[in-house]
Amino acid sequence: MSSAQPVILGEMPSLSKLYVNAAAAAARRRILGSHNSTALPLVSHEVRGVLADVGNLTAYQHLLGESASDILPAGFIHALAFPVAMSVMNRDDFPLPLLGMIHLRNVVEHRSPVRFTEPVDITAWTENLRAHRAGTQLDIVAEVRGPGEATVRWRGVSTYLAKGVFLPGIDKAAAAVQPAVFKAPDPTALWQLGVDAGRAYAAVSGDFNPIHLSVLSAKALGLRRSIAHGMYLASRALADVGAAKGEAFRWEVSFEAPVFLPAKVALDISTAQTEGAAWLRSDYVAWSPRSGRKHFSGSVTAL
Amino acid sequence: MTDTYTRLVSKGVGRDVAKKLGLPQPALLRRYEPGQPLVNGPLLVVGSSTGADALATDLLAWDLDVRRHAVPREKLGGIVLVLDELEKPSDLEEPVLRAAPSLRDLAPNGRVVTVSREPGGTPAAAAARQGVDGLLRSLAKELRAGATGNGILLADGVGATAPGALGALRFFLSARSAFVDGQFVRVGSSDGKLPDDVDTPLAGKVAVVTGAARGIGAAIARTLHRDGATVVAVDIPAAGDHLAEVANEVRGTALQLDITRDNAGARIIDHAVGRHGRLDIVVHNAGITRDKLLVNMDHSRWSSVIDVNIAAQLRINDALLASEHFRSSPRIVSVASTSGIAGNRGQTNYAASKGGVMGMVRATAPLLARHGGSVNAVAPGFIETEMTARMPFAMREIARRLNSLQQGGRPQDVAEAIAFLASDAAGGISGEVLRVCGQNMVGA
Amino acid sequence: MSIDGQSVNGPEEPAVSRAASSAQAVRRAVVVGGNRIPFARTGGAYTKSSNQDMLTAALDGLIARFGLQDERIGEVAAGAVLKHSRDFNLTREAVLGSALSAETPAYDLQQACATGLETVLGLANKIKLGQIESAIAGGVDSASDAPIAVSEGLREILLDLSRAKSLPQRLQILARLRPKDLAPDAPNTGEPRTGLSMGEHQALTTAQWKITREAQDELAYNSHRNLAAAYDAGFFDDLLTPYRGLTRDSNLRADTSLDKLASLKPVFGRNLGSEATMTAGNSTPLTDGASTVLLASEEWADQHDLPKLATILDGEAAAVDFVHGKDGLLMAPALAVPRLLARNGLTLDDIDYFEIHEAFAGTVLSTLAAWEDEEFGRTRLGLEGAFGKVDRSRLNVNGSSLAAGHPFAATGGRIVASLAKMLHEKGAADGRPALGLVSICAAGGQGVVALLEAH
Repeated sequence: MSSAQPVILGEMPSLSKLYVNAAAAAARRRILGSHNSTALPLVSHEVRGVLADVGNLTAYQHLLGESASDILPAGFIHALAFPVAMSVMNRDDFPLPLLGMIHLRNVVEHRSPVRFTEPVDITAWTENLRAHRAGTQLDIVAEVRGPGEATVRWRGVSTYLAKGVFLPGIDKAAAAVQPAVFKAPDPTALWQLGVDAGRAYAAVSGDFNPIHLSVLSAKALGLRRSIAHGMYLASRALADVGAAKGEAFRWEVSFEAPVFLPAKVALDISTAQTEGAAWLRSDYVAWSPRSGRKHFSGSVTAL
Repeated sequence: MTDTYTRLVSKGVGRDVAKKLGLPQPALLRRYEPGQPLVNGPLLVVGSSTGADALATDLLAWDLDVRRHAVPREKLGGIVLVLDELEKPSDLEEPVLRAAPSLRDLAPNGRVVTVSREPGGTPAAAAARQGVDGLLRSLAKELRAGATGNGILLADGVGATAPGALGALRFFLSARSAFVDGQFVRVGSSDGKLPDDVDTPLAGKVAVVTGAARGIGAAIARTLHRDGATVVAVDIPAAGDHLAEVANEVRGTALQLDITRDNAGARIIDHAVGRHGRLDIVVHNAGITRDKLLVNMDHSRWSSVIDVNIAAQLRINDALLASEHFRSSPRIVSVASTSGIAGNRGQTNYAASKGGVMGMVRATAPLLARHGGSVNAVAPGFIETEMTARMPFAMREIARRLNSLQQGGRPQDVAEAIAFLASDAAGGISGEVLRVCGQNMVGA
Repeated sequence: MSIDGQSVNGPEEPAVSRAASSAQAVRRAVVVGGNRIPFARTGGAYTKSSNQDMLTAALDGLIARFGLQDERIGEVAAGAVLKHSRDFNLTREAVLGSALSAETPAYDLQQACATGLETVLGLANKIKLGQIESAIAGGVDSASDAPIAVSEGLREILLDLSRAKSLPQRLQILARLRPKDLAPDAPNTGEPRTGLSMGEHQALTTAQWKITREAQDELAYNSHRNLAAAYDAGFFDDLLTPYRGLTRDSNLRADTSLDKLASLKPVFGRNLGSEATMTAGNSTPLTDGASTVLLASEEWADQHDLPKLATILDGEAAAVDFVHGKDGLLMAPALAVPRLLARNGLTLDDIDYFEIHEAFAGTVLSTLAAWEDEEFGRTRLGLEGAFGKVDRSRLNVNGSSLAAGHPFAATGGRIVASLAKMLHEKGAADGRPALGLVSICAAGGQGVVALLEAH
């Protein structure tokens, strides 16, 4: 639980309004210059009694290849909580430009299942503002609880980078350690992602970030083509791990090269088991079969 | 299956036009269907011998309308001319001329059957008996409207009412012999047995038909099945799809087998006995043509025809003759060809093989006789099949009209003759070749 | 399952039939015979023939061979992998179109490429239990006449439209239609969970087991040579009925050579890192065809004066976790066969004929390599060492799918009928009835295997 001051929002923030607002804020900043906040807002946003839409849930499960059970997939909860997290980063006192921030890493602890029939309370705040060799990074934390419950059922920490933004008072990060050369293993799966992969995920997650939607909208934001949602890729990998992971698990992903659409993505999942053949963890890594560049890697481990 | 020309000139304007122009007027032949009357009207039995009396009595027992004297202007279904006691040529005149006026009263598809003795005895008797041959063949050519004339030759010591004679008489009178014209069948012994039920003369029999996938073979399978037999349909594996259709249609079994394989006889016996418990009838129908003028003939054309058409039959017969499962009044019927009798340009290999079939039949007859068995051949003339349908139009038209019935036969016509020869009633007939050719002008 | 104590039923055992000794409680189910139509490469002789057409043709050939016209068979089971939704009752419809009694019940079954073998095992079990006396197992597939689905978008619009109650509602739903929705959605052979085609999966397995191009080409060459020889010897005379002008499997290349096979370019595994070794020559092509097998109790076969070629002794299914790369997609038989043989107290040395379905040459060779591998034996099979070696002179002796082709659901019936005939012809070996093993891998990481004994 954060020590931040809670702000209870009356309703779920609208992501589209948040994106418009973010665009407006970006324009304002460009005209007025950078505003003077250099610290993260000391507030958390909370929305209570959030209920998943079952049709949306089913569409999500079909798209990602999850079993269409009544339990919300970890990635679906991420999408459910995302507007709350976005609303924190959309605050006027948030020190970094929201648009153009890059999703570097995501860690989810899924501690106990949430059924679609259960309303949940979602809290989100930002923390851990720190330097990155290419700019400034921070974590945005979201927690999901049952109504009025103290125990957290789902906790997600997303690390974002504001590229090229260096805030005063934050020491520059040391030069990056040269990463080990990636040697692609034999794949266990090969994903064919169409140009519409971004739009399809946007439709089930509600994340209509223009960089994912079309070539044109992506170009408007300086990208040569649209790119796949990071959480779409990570959620598919999670789905591929399958039912062995059980109901309580830790799910990590680190993003490297973005996946420009359309694309083929090669994936390798390797699973470790105990002596008694019980599932311990699955590690996954994805890369471009064409260039051999790593797109992302991560793991799912038993909690 | 009736050809267009025959249909055209059989009624209405077409008939009148054909008549005026003197064109051939082939009749629509009456074909056998189970349950139909044996003949189309009363039967006149001419002859004063004891044989004639006995025959007339037996025919009455078949529920036929039998006349010993002609009733003027009464339409007749058939005339049976019993000439079994001829001593000299002059004996012919009385019965023949007595029957003559009745020819006018013969109904369409009527039948004339002579019953006489095979040539032999004194020179005068032999002359009289041989005279029947010329008489009948000429008479057959005078008959019109689908009527046919055929003869039964009794060996010495065989009575006019021997099973073979009665069986042959029933066959010739019936519509089963629609395309058999101007032919004799020789009854060599009193062997054989008349059927309990004339509609199913092959009841309880297991019959193997080779080359059963198409054409004449398929018709044989259907006809034997209709007459009560359980049919094993045999053909080469490559014809298996058509074979399966035939086998399923006749509720029999399909045996995909290349009859030229060394073990073909054993395979046939094993299948028939294994699946159906016995083997009574084998019809050697499978045959191929590889036509070429002899001057251009090569090894493969020659040997393949000989191998399939006669060598394979000989090998299978050896297996049959050696088998203890082929001992109960067994029947072998082979399909020969009028080409084997009269010859045919471009068919030296084929005619040699079919001539061979006739030789084989004659020589095999004594070998089967000890088990009450018989072996005969049927020689088809021009039969309307998929093969003849591919002949050039003019050649086909000529071939069709070159017989007394002025039309081609049907596969069923060949099958009917085979079914007769395969029946118990035909036990006294063996080593014979029966032509099913509509009294073809060629090689008569 | 461990395979300890596999010498319990070793060669010193008396010459009693396993069917008699191991299953006193149940009756025997015997293979009477089989029939299939020649297999045709997709886009060939059967381009316009539907699954129902081909299955009916195969059934009618079987009926003709064994005189089953108007017979009420206990049950007919068959299936197709690529199936139109209108063919929901494919097998029953084929029965109704055949010469069998219309009172013959039927059901459809689908277990990918193992469909045919699974129908044999399921029906054999019913016979063993006394539920039925006779049965026809089968399978059919057409990649030529494969179903093409409408796009997901159009499908949803059509379904919503059928539920709409008013005109405005309908118009509203129709307004959702976009041009791209009209593009059809053709079936693909990729595994849904990995997106890899079967060939790509096998390419990974082939590389994992270090199977050489030469070894794969040699297996393919033997398959063609053996199948051609079997045709020439008349082996298929009572196993096959021609269809649509085809009298032999159209994929068969009697004149192929190792040089010709070596000249082909790899088609699978080119983008997977390792060296690509799988060509069109050592992989099965898409094929159309159908097969059937007549099964019966001994009593029924005797009453009908029908032959008893072989007894269906036992069957085993296995599956592997190919999604996470633990085993290759088509390696389930490598697990199923050891379990099956252990349960029956047998080793590979006891088997007189091996019929290992050649989905790809690499599949067969990877399976054999796994069985010869000590580590695989220890870690995956729970054995002390390697499972064993297959005597290659007993493997697919009359050819298999590389030469004959592989209409998915029809392969099981092809193999069972052929193997039953081979066992019957061999009769006894080493003083006991000859034994045959069928192994078929299937999509979804599955494998079904079966044990047959000469009757």
